[in-house]
Amino acid sequence: MDIPILSLLVIIPLIGALATLFMGGQRAEKAKYVAVAFSAIVLALALYVTFVGYNNMADLADLKESYVWFKAAGLQMNIIFAIDGLSILMVLLTAILVFLVVIFSWHEEDKPNYYHALLLAMEVGLMGVYMAQDFFLFYIMWEVTLIPMYFMISWYGGPRRHYSAIKFFIYTHVASVIMLIGIFAVVFQTQIGAEYISFAFEAVRNGATLAPAFQTFFFGLLFFGFAVKMPVPPFHTWLPDAHVEAPTGGSVLLAGVMLKMGSYGIIRVCLDSAIFPDAMAFWQPIMIGLGIFAMVYGAYACIAQNDLKKMVAYSSISHMGMVLVGMGCNSVIGIEFAIFQMFAHGIISGVLFMVCGIAGHNFGTRDMRLLGGLAGKFPVYALFMMFGFMASLGLPGLMGFIAEFGLLFGLWEYLVSQGLEVLIVFGLLDMMLTAGYYLWAMQKTLFGKLTDKIDLTHCHDIAKNEVAVLAVLCALIALFGIWPTLALDFVMPFAGAF
Amino acid sequence: MAEIFDSLATTLVDTFKEATFVLPELIVLIAALIAPLVFYLTKNGKIVAAVSFALIAVSALVTMLLMHTVTYGVAASMFEFDAFSSLMMLLFMAVAFLTIMVSPCHVETTKHAGEYYALICAIVAGMMFAASAANLLAIFISVEVVSISSYALVALKKNDPRASEAAVKYLIIGAFSTALTLFGMSMIFGVTGTLDIAEISAIVPTMAANWAFIVGCIGMIAGYGFKIAAVPFHSWAPDVYEGASTPVSGFLATASKKMGFAVLFKIFFALFIIGSTGVFTLEFQYVFAIIAAITMTVGNVVAISQSNIKRMLAYSSVAQAGYIMIALAVMSQYATTGALFHMFTHVVMKGGAFIIVAALITAGLGEKIEDYKGLAKRAPLVAAAMMLFLFSLAGIPPLAGFTSKFVLFSGAIFVNGAVSMQWMWLALIAVLNSAISLYYYARVVKAMYIEKPACEDKVSVPKPFMVAILLCVIGVIVLGVYPEYLIDLCSKAATALWLL
Repeated sequence: MDIPILSLLVIIPLIGALATLFMGGQRAEKAKYVAVAFSAIVLALALYVTFVGYNNMADLADLKESYVWFKAAGLQMNIIFAIDGLSILMVLLTAILVFLVVIFSWHEEDKPNYYHALLLAMEVGLMGVYMAQDFFLFYIMWEVTLIPMYFMISWYGGPRRHYSAIKFFIYTHVASVIMLIGIFAVVFQTQIGAEYISFAFEAVRNGATLAPAFQTFFFGLLFFGFAVKMPVPPFHTWLPDAHVEAPTGGSVLLAGVMLKMGSYGIIRVCLDSAIFPDAMAFWQPIMIGLGIFAMVYGAYACIAQNDLKKMVAYSSISHMGMVLVGMGCNSVIGIEFAIFQMFAHGIISGVLFMVCGIAGHNFGTRDMRLLGGLAGKFPVYALFMMFGFMASLGLPGLMGFIAEFGLLFGLWEYLVSQGLEVLIVFGLLDMMLTAGYYLWAMQKTLFGKLTDKIDLTHCHDIAKNEVAVLAVLCALIALFGIWPTLALDFVMPFAGAF
Repeated sequence: MAEIFDSLATTLVDTFKEATFVLPELIVLIAALIAPLVFYLTKNGKIVAAVSFALIAVSALVTMLLMHTVTYGVAASMFEFDAFSSLMMLLFMAVAFLTIMVSPCHVETTKHAGEYYALICAIVAGMMFAASAANLLAIFISVEVVSISSYALVALKKNDPRASEAAVKYLIIGAFSTALTLFGMSMIFGVTGTLDIAEISAIVPTMAANWAFIVGCIGMIAGYGFKIAAVPFHSWAPDVYEGASTPVSGFLATASKKMGFAVLFKIFFALFIIGSTGVFTLEFQYVFAIIAAITMTVGNVVAISQSNIKRMLAYSSVAQAGYIMIALAVMSQYATTGALFHMFTHVVMKGGAFIIVAALITAGLGEKIEDYKGLAKRAPLVAAAMMLFLFSLAGIPPLAGFTSKFVLFSGAIFVNGAVSMQWMWLALIAVLNSAISLYYYARVVKAMYIEKPACEDKVSVPKPFMVAILLCVIGVIVLGVYPEYLIDLCSKAATALWLL
């Protein structure tokens, strides 16, 4: 392949971000056209890679671009981008969500040029994380996502945005630097004696075998870094704050793709049996335990929320807990459906956060105690909300069901092998709680008598661009719910190796 | 091209003989001597600045020429021109460039321009001598040149009581640290019978443990600990930086500390490593490690509570000194490479931040963080540059500060060809500190970008400041994204330290 298409996936949004950044003054209004053009090109490239580049490729190594960045003081940093069964869905998801968020935020009027620059800058980091095959590059891209999100929350966010933005920034940065220590140790230890210590994944995978105790310890540091991003309770407290205060577009990207960076990192690095062949003996029960805890705790916390958006934020914790369970199983089915769940949750949470955002700016509140009976007056809104909630609670025929079904099956398999079948109760409990809070939330906001606590006379139903975006997302949810192998076929070559 | 350089270097060596290897220092020294004369003749501060600037540029070109052609050697068996000293000289001269570039805009320099530039050049010459000195006495004298000139430089703003207070404090603490250093050196001389560093490093491994040696080392650590503002010897730094005029603070914070490190590296690597089985090596490594850990933690924690931006930057300098001390604790070439690299990136990011503070003071803004509210609206480019410098100081990729911390901190993990658990705790403390520091840097960014300005007037910054800021911005980005060349130089310099 002559065109460096993977590098373009990073470079194009970067150019777009710089272009929109400098469209100040009178031209700020036009920034959205630039943003939509650039994100559309990225989406087109991602679709091309997915359905043409990837499918026709017998040897996946062809989807790889590799350059030496610099060599000095015995270190060799590389710019290596590659796409495999783990990254492909994430790349596609990033491209889809950024494009849709740009359209969804069409009527953003406060500094629209900066808003779109931040979206595209985030896309740079996200694409980089999902394609990087070098620890140095991976870490840089990982951190690059922080700054746009910090400004996104603190410029466009809700009333407590300053606090939430700084908390998000520092909390996740602390986790990253701890992860960095793990990266140092693993990279250096696997390549003792090499003339140049390469930070490429490939070099680390082919390097010396690590001692079991060493593996266990540094697996822990890396896992911590990734788990905070996911987030896994008890390290989740930044998430509800960040989500509630972030603008809708920011929340969609935060939940849809940034949280996935955590689980992606765990599968990519921690579960790589070439790097950590023995660490899972110690960490597997902990991962499963934390995953079950996250699942149930997240769902339980949802029940107590009055703010729609905060409820959805906690539901993210619960759903990412399921991903953790799947990864903890460390089996073909567990990994396969963990990746599928990452993809599914990315799309579904997009719908959920958009629906919550619309409630905030159309009705003036997201407080479920004040809302009620919206279905009669705003049928289109109600339809999308119901669809999103149903998809998220795992209604058969939709995407969420396939993912949850697979993950519970993986968990069951693991529990049987450990003789702990009884613990599956927690999985069922989570399903019940999830159905409970969503149905309850719908009942409170959509059905019953139209609320008289807020003035809805001048409120309109959702705008056309919002309908379009939600319709696309809902169509995808249905499509992958009915035809899951469309996505799973991409994942299988990767997951099959576990 | 290479031949021209070679023949030029040969001509230099033929002409100046041994003196070639102190030629860069001598040129700067000449600048220091003629600056008052030029001022007397022209009465124009800008011309003095131009002359000093030109002479330092010549000196830098000579240094680069000698470096490029690997023309290394020793002058008067006291000053060694090698990969390490030449690199440090370039660093000092780079700081001097930035300082001189912005000085004419500063009010205090108009009346005392002669003294001001003479002192700056004398300090730079002293630092350059210190970096190349291969003898304890030569080190001591060079450092004294720097110290005494710095006291005068701080006191130059003599109508300002804060500056006078700072100068007196600097003088008293500096004199005390000088006494400690001299005492330590005399002990070492007493034990080993020589002042030549190479000879000392040959004698040390053969010695039995003795108290005079330990006391000597402690004296020097304390003495130069003041110079680098390591905790508990740091208390002068915030007051002096706050009191001195801002370009001077920037100069002291970026250059004078680096000289302290250059000297510490020279002396202590010679004492403990090059003799391969130095006495008490491990004990002193732990002394350095503990000082490093305390320095970075105190610097960062105290910086959080500062409301004056100069004091905040001063404490952040203290913290950066803690990071660089990792190299002294680990005592490996790789960590030293990281430390040298971090010194360079520190020049562009901290120097840049100080230049911005100076520029804004000239433009009429205060020194408090709250004065920076809404700066993004009032001076968008300056605010963007400040944000870059602060994020770089906090170690956010892909900026210079991240890349240098990356090498430096990994130096605490990758020790002499293997991953060592010995300094893992130090690396953890360092990265956590780096993460904490984000809090107070982000506070300034928040003030600039998110909070509403008190007034909407545009802030106009004089041109020379903009040029200096632009240079630092380029440095922060280039050293972050493409550091290969500089890391390579630092690596060679670190190797040179080991060869002595």
